[in-house]
Amino acid sequence: MKEFERYLLNRIAAANSHTLGVYRQQGGYKAIEKVLKTPLKPEDVIAVMKDSGLRGRGGAGFPTGMKWSFMPDITKDPRPRYLAVNADESEPGTCKDRVLMERDPHGLVEGCLIACYAMRAKAAYIYVRGEYRLSYNRVQAAIDEARAAGLIGKNILGTDFSCDIWMHKGAGAYICGEETGLMESLEGKRGHPRPKPPFPAGSGLWKSPTTVNNVETIFNAPFIVERGAEWFKTMGVPKSTGNFLCGISGHVNKPGVYELPFGLTARQILDEVAGGVWKGRKLKAFFPGGSSTGLMPASAIDVVMDHDSVKAAGSMFGTAAMIFLDETASIPQVMDVTLRFYDHESCGQCSQCREGTQWLHQMFHRIARGKGKREDLDLLVSLANGMAPGKTICALADAAAIPTLAAVKHFRSEFEQCIELGRDPLAPTHAPAPELQGAH
Amino acid sequence: MSQPTPPSAATNPSPAPAPKPATVKIQVDGREVEADPKQPLIRACHDNGVDVPMYCYHPGLTPVGSCRICQVEVAGAPGQPSRVVAACRTPVSPGMVVQTDTPKAHETRRECLEFLLKNHPLDCPICDKAGECDLQDYSFNEGQGKGRSSEPRRKLEKRKSLGDVIVLDEERCILCSRCVRFFQDVTHKPQLTVSGLGSRSTIATFGDKPLTGNYQGNLADICPVGALTLKPFRFQARVWNLSKSLSTCAECSRGCSITVEALRGKEVKRFRPRYNPQVNQYWMCDTGRFAYAPVTEQLAPAGSALGGRLAGAAVRGYNGLELAEVESALSEVADILAAHPNPLVLISPFATQQEGEAVRELCAALGVRARFVSPAPSALKDDLLNTGDPCPNRRGLSELGFEPIEAAAAHTELAQAHAALLVGERIQELLDVAELAKLPASLRLIVFDVRAHDLAALDVAVGVPTHVEKSGQWLNVDGHVGVLNVAVPPPAGVGPLERTLRELRAALAPSAATH
Repeated sequence: MKEFERYLLNRIAAANSHTLGVYRQQGGYKAIEKVLKTPLKPEDVIAVMKDSGLRGRGGAGFPTGMKWSFMPDITKDPRPRYLAVNADESEPGTCKDRVLMERDPHGLVEGCLIACYAMRAKAAYIYVRGEYRLSYNRVQAAIDEARAAGLIGKNILGTDFSCDIWMHKGAGAYICGEETGLMESLEGKRGHPRPKPPFPAGSGLWKSPTTVNNVETIFNAPFIVERGAEWFKTMGVPKSTGNFLCGISGHVNKPGVYELPFGLTARQILDEVAGGVWKGRKLKAFFPGGSSTGLMPASAIDVVMDHDSVKAAGSMFGTAAMIFLDETASIPQVMDVTLRFYDHESCGQCSQCREGTQWLHQMFHRIARGKGKREDLDLLVSLANGMAPGKTICALADAAAIPTLAAVKHFRSEFEQCIELGRDPLAPTHAPAPELQGAH
Repeated sequence: MSQPTPPSAATNPSPAPAPKPATVKIQVDGREVEADPKQPLIRACHDNGVDVPMYCYHPGLTPVGSCRICQVEVAGAPGQPSRVVAACRTPVSPGMVVQTDTPKAHETRRECLEFLLKNHPLDCPICDKAGECDLQDYSFNEGQGKGRSSEPRRKLEKRKSLGDVIVLDEERCILCSRCVRFFQDVTHKPQLTVSGLGSRSTIATFGDKPLTGNYQGNLADICPVGALTLKPFRFQARVWNLSKSLSTCAECSRGCSITVEALRGKEVKRFRPRYNPQVNQYWMCDTGRFAYAPVTEQLAPAGSALGGRLAGAAVRGYNGLELAEVESALSEVADILAAHPNPLVLISPFATQQEGEAVRELCAALGVRARFVSPAPSALKDDLLNTGDPCPNRRGLSELGFEPIEAAAAHTELAQAHAALLVGERIQELLDVAELAKLPASLRLIVFDVRAHDLAALDVAVGVPTHVEKSGQWLNVDGHVGVLNVAVPPPAGVGPLERTLRELRAALAPSAATH
């Protein structure tokens, strides 16, 4: 793997990197200064973001500049507009935003200011998952420091730009990380996703234009504004520019959050970044971007890690939360726990998702315990096809159906073996995880 | 379902019709139709006679698009594949091409039904909703004959009381959330919510408190399955044995359009609201919904005029009230009226326009003016439907020229009168039976009511039909016509009141009519 330029995690090595002083020492708040003092027009900021080719880091990979440009024209639509920052990082395997919030919260604050300026938003809401206590405290402390330093509030840096940033703590529901569920939750309601249309840019928080961005996406904004779109495009591949945070977990020697450029192969990431499969074992499968992306077999390890290549290989780049499974992992057990998660976290609005996630979980649970039937595999595929794609309000049903389809497609023989033997030969010998009953 | 005929302009200064909304042209199943762009696509389909199944969608509630049964196929832009969309959350756009009857649309609905039935208990044989259940109907139309699930079904509470009116069966519930939105959108006092997450969701009241308010019964109507049932209707009838007649609620001057449902055409089991965009939309209050006790009263014991509905007539003889033929009772009335001219005539506010006209003719012959009894307003008035005025035909009788008289004034005048006619359903109750019992025996009291009471003053009583046993019209508080139809036959010997009154007028003819 050749050397590459890093920027996302450069600041976190310093002691007290989360404080305003250290952040400033490392060149912080230069981007917002550039925007306000030059001054750049909001349209110019959006143009730079568009030109940079930055794609959302929350899983869908939607071009950020384009998303920002969807906000209606302020001259024709006087409603207040909002930025909502999705810090409800709860996809199994994903742990990247946490690093940014805990170690570099001012980077997020500065990103929020730039995004609010570009979209003429009067306020940003950072929706942090409830379990991220340190993240919440650090970002809140950063907001307080920035406010005291005149960086948040009225007439920031002596200009007529005013913006507020507020924090909101989630209560632990995965579905509140879905952008419309997040907005409902922010408004104080149950986190039930809203049907689209209307899209958030037309009618979001309190029926006003809203943009929802992931923490890492917002975190990229100051770098792009300060150093320019051309610089940003030198990193990554043409259609997925910049670096991304890759959260590596599973059966590897060096799990962790790494900053990587787009365009490496999964094999390079596994061997050169994560130190290879642990205990000298062989790789069996991996999730390329969190548990809702299709499980890929070891034979697909040479897939290039960027949005389009992973998609072409039949899975999704997602949030780049790579979960590696070694040869001792039982795919039926993996699917049992994966679907248990989606069954537990479905919001329960849509029929297909509410009943389907439970049904798939029950079937995987049964197969993993050796009670499977021959016709189960076709039924799994049929049910998953009945749930997705695009048949429900939000993508949670897809998140359950996609790994199901992928697992049955790539590991059918393993399921069949479980069913034939009446037991799972790879079943863990330790006691199974307790059932998630009654949690929130 | 026929709508009430519009009242004539002369008698009814009803508000001007709302301006017709601008429409756009779309294509539904190959037919070009007009659609209101403010309404979702499903409305355009329904308004044009195209059936699209629905659970969470209800035309009177905010659409949420969660059940996903209303999926239809919409043609994409040129070169793009068609999409299957939820019709209840899809806005209408000009030139849209919609197909409801394609394999893709049916397949999506089949899948949706399969998921909905995964945990449904399929206890249709003991379910009150069976026969009018949307889950049953659409499963029959769109579903598959055989379930593919071998997983255990959810075990939840089968009979959870939600107050005095509603019982919740959590297992049958498909979580369409219509009931939740009813309280949000219609009464504006939220009481229900979806509790729990995902497959553990159930419908619950806030803090598990019982439901309150006068509109709870509507939940059982809007529940598309048998999850919310009416306590008074539980296990009372199989719905396919109920005959249905269009009628109007009698409990206040709103006159909500209702359907009277009678078991095998005989015993009234249910009043349900009927859609009327000008009066009550889809709803009715519980006071009206459960007001079928007065119309299901048993007949008086054989040979007696008291203790129940009066079939025929009763005349005071030597041994008190004795049953009599209506004809002879009317000639007795004619004799009394000949001896006591200028009787006091009071009519019930339940009298229909037709009955009112017959009273007016009778009074013209007698040379007197009748007034209608106007009881004190009830405390049931709310800002939704109930007007608190217990006179269903106040407006109509007023337009016929009758003046109201309050019960207290009526008592004074009755005490001073020599003869009095009380005409119409429930008039004795509206005047207070205890007060009438105080009237002296010297008063010649003639009553046309559904039952006779043991009143000292009572000379002649003639049975009349209840409002579910007759046809006629009322005018509601805003002047809209409410129709009454014969839902159940009146008891033998009881004829329409207007006919009885005309017979009385004929009996008067030799004496009073020439007066």
